[in-house]
Amino acid sequence: MSSADQPYIDPSELPLEEPVAERFKSRHDAFWSGIKAAAGAPAMVLFAGMVGFGAMGKTNGFDIWFTTATSFFMFALPGQVVLLEMAITGSSAIAIALAVTLTATRFITMTVTLFPQFHQRDRNRSLYASVHLLAMTAWAISMREFHSIEVKHRLSYFMGLGLLCWLISIPGTILGYFLAGMVPAPITLGLVFINPLFFLLTFTEVKPWINRIAILLGCLFGPLFFILNRDTSLLTAGLVSGTLAYFIDRKFLRKKPGVIA
Amino acid sequence: MIPASNILSGWSLWIALFGACLGTYFCRAIGVSLSQWINQDSEIFRWLAAVTYAMVAALTVRLIVMPLGLMSTVPLWIRILICVLSIAVMMSKPTRRLVPALLTGTILMISYGVMR
Repeated sequence: MSSADQPYIDPSELPLEEPVAERFKSRHDAFWSGIKAAAGAPAMVLFAGMVGFGAMGKTNGFDIWFTTATSFFMFALPGQVVLLEMAITGSSAIAIALAVTLTATRFITMTVTLFPQFHQRDRNRSLYASVHLLAMTAWAISMREFHSIEVKHRLSYFMGLGLLCWLISIPGTILGYFLAGMVPAPITLGLVFINPLFFLLTFTEVKPWINRIAILLGCLFGPLFFILNRDTSLLTAGLVSGTLAYFIDRKFLRKKPGVIA
Repeated sequence: MIPASNILSGWSLWIALFGACLGTYFCRAIGVSLSQWINQDSEIFRWLAAVTYAMVAALTVRLIVMPLGLMSTVPLWIRILICVLSIAVMMSKPTRRLVPALLTGTILMISYGVMR
């Protein structure tokens, strides 16, 4: 049974972290459900983003191998865009590597908040390979779904989800490369807009209040810190907003009955 | 088209890519090694989850409110209006409506592009 079939329940009435009956019969089942979950909105979003990236590579004179290798080996769209932008303006390789690494710092906390939810047995060295499949899209979906998936099947679900997201980005990049210049401006607008819109929409499904407050504060501090310092703004806005949300939750919300933690 | 002389090219370009991939993977790998020490019921986990959501929110809002390139030619109020309408579609039905909401926003944005 997928959670889409369930009737709506006010989140504040849900018991905390209720253990669920088996959602998947086997790891195989969980893996394919992950693939299926990826095949809707996440694949659409990543594909659109990568088409845009492929087109960006072509219009700026990069070859197809370089553009595609970027999607395959980096698989982190904001960092890929920074790489191209800096290469176009002729920055040094070291400066590029550092700037891209800075945009990738979000992966540290994404991994740290997602991977402890796997079964103890799955938390071994093989995760160093699986982590390459982690991107913002798969993270957002996993954070939403994991509470309703039994612990032992979470890794398989994540693998299915992440694998399709990663694999779809390669044809997306190649298609974008060959379509560059042929896509009318309105379609390009749609392709560019779908990415932030996806994340905005997933925020409406975040249930714990601490994270809702963090999102709200992040929305306020994000643009502010961006004006102050472009490169470090994500990190600083995240740390300030997240820490504030944590303390607001700790001081005021946690003891209130009915507030989902 | 930018003159080729300004573009990082040849080996230095591939070295830049290698460095960028290494840096990106490094962040993912640090996350894995730190995650071994963190329990999902701990305080630090709650704090880090809040920080991560805030980071993603900051990035999202920046892409909508302060975009670069083509998107910046769309008036801010249009971008915000389309976001509000998409969220309305998303919340209009209790069960999941992510794909319809996503399509609503994208189609509205394309329609705006066609009409202007």
